[in-house]
Amino acid sequence: MTLLRLNNLSFGYDPQRLIFEDISFAVHPGEVFCIIGPNGCGKTTLIDSILGINQPQQGTIEVSGTHLAQLKPREFAQHIAYVPQSHSKTFPYTVLDIVVMGRTYATRGFGSPDSSQQQRARESLDQVGLKGFEERLYTELSGGELQLVLIARALTQDARIMVLDEPTAHLDFRHELMVMEIITRLVKEKGLTIVMATHFLNQAFYLENAAVPTRVALMNQGKIETIGTPSEVITKNNLKDVFKIISITGTTDEEGIQRKFIVPLKNLR
Amino acid sequence: MSSPKKTIVTIILILLPVLFFFGTICIGRYYVSLTDIFLTLWQGLTGNNSGLSSETTTVILQIRLPRAFQGAMVGAALGASGAAFQSLFRNPLVSSGILGVSAGAGFGAALAIVLFNTVFLTPLFAFVFGILAVILSYFAGKIDNTSTTITLVLGGTIIQSIFSALISLLKYLADTATQLPAITFWLMGSLASTKTADVFLALIPMVLGMAGMLIMRYRLNVLSMGDREARTLGINVMANKAAIIGFATLATAGAVCVSGIVGWIGLIIPHVGRMLVGNDNKWLVPASMSLGACFVIFCDTLCRSLTGGEIPLGIVTALIGGPFFIYLLKKTKGRSW
Repeated sequence: MTLLRLNNLSFGYDPQRLIFEDISFAVHPGEVFCIIGPNGCGKTTLIDSILGINQPQQGTIEVSGTHLAQLKPREFAQHIAYVPQSHSKTFPYTVLDIVVMGRTYATRGFGSPDSSQQQRARESLDQVGLKGFEERLYTELSGGELQLVLIARALTQDARIMVLDEPTAHLDFRHELMVMEIITRLVKEKGLTIVMATHFLNQAFYLENAAVPTRVALMNQGKIETIGTPSEVITKNNLKDVFKIISITGTTDEEGIQRKFIVPLKNLR
Repeated sequence: MSSPKKTIVTIILILLPVLFFFGTICIGRYYVSLTDIFLTLWQGLTGNNSGLSSETTTVILQIRLPRAFQGAMVGAALGASGAAFQSLFRNPLVSSGILGVSAGAGFGAALAIVLFNTVFLTPLFAFVFGILAVILSYFAGKIDNTSTTITLVLGGTIIQSIFSALISLLKYLADTATQLPAITFWLMGSLASTKTADVFLALIPMVLGMAGMLIMRYRLNVLSMGDREARTLGINVMANKAAIIGFATLATAGAVCVSGIVGWIGLIIPHVGRMLVGNDNKWLVPASMSLGACFVIFCDTLCRSLTGGEIPLGIVTALIGGPFFIYLLKKTKGRSW
């Protein structure tokens, strides 16, 4: 049983110039599926297709065996929750107002979330370590706190798949680690399935080391080069081919944590 | 909001318009007391003679009561539409006229005045052209079957300027002795010509529009997250946007067709609401209705009682609204939203 399956997916805003082409993969329950690749390789556009925001020219996407195109937005939100790469803040809602929006699909008619749904939102805030933030204005949060709030909002959807587009793009080391710890906990304890685009390749090693089932898809120029475990995919040779860089890999053994890492050294001439 | 504060604010927002409503009926050159109002209403309901002079009952029933009611409805409709559009367009500087409903209504009114030389058809034409302008803006901003906030606002701006040009054209063609002043005064907005019949006719779109916005108001929170997030949170963005634009337009067109162009309400009233009840549209939309009703009644009372004649409503709302908006901007340092 696969939760999410892409079959020969192709998309381009201009049908003559495809952004990505013939993408196929299946995401299994309880794994983290990382999509990596250089800027402009089509990661975000691929994620937009998974979210149903753009309609693929060819191929299909199945969510729990149903064609994505047949899912109404309300049904879609029950299956897939989304954490955006960046969020432009408009009005100073309270943190609880934001997080409870995760229950939108579960409200009856056009109504607003009831007290049990607010309770669900409070639990999500607790899960990301933001207990006590309920009445804070979300416009006054730091970038790291905002990202955690958006993760809490996605959690509140109680969907089995969470799609994150570069979840740590604007975060400092501390908040990056917090996000990775939350992801680890969600997958291990709640059996959540995660699809995540990232530029931080060491995150895949982090997850591998934390014994989270993790696979990495390496994208390049709109195609998937290879799919495998972090150790199989994130290698000096693959990075040389795709990113055109010289890098080194190594293993740390500090604080009792044995983990692989990769460091970019220089561009190929 | 905490619950005790919520309760207090709710009570104030319900009582305030009632207070303003009866207050404005009392104010004016013909003296009317609160007791007179209730006696007149009682007489109207039961048919018992209250012993009041017929002048008093006429002033109350034929002039001040319809006008106060019209003012309350116009204010509530414009306040709610402004709040809805601000969330929908994710922009606190947007008002109810952003998609050209006021410009369209102005053109319709001017056209009726020039073509028929009668006030009878003016509200109808204003209403129809107000709605037509919004439909045109919507399709002008719709590209590839979707409409982003930017293209919609752009569409609205274009249609607004086209209708403004057409209004100028009609003014240029109008008879300078009768029609031109009529057009000019209409565009300044006023409740002076309120008739009981108008009140009931314009009530239909205003009530429909406001009811729709009240029912859908939580969706405004979700839509204000942006199209992409709103969709993944589980709502059909295009359909919800279109419905809210439809309801807000009905309410605004209903208001503008009887009051003329009254600015500032759809812009500042939601901001006062935000300061009082916060940004959750569950509270903000009804609060904007209450505050809008109060503001228009207040301004209209000034219009008809400050001087011997009538000052156009649009002038008073702008003269009070403008400085007040600057005050808000300074006080919040432009950051609170």
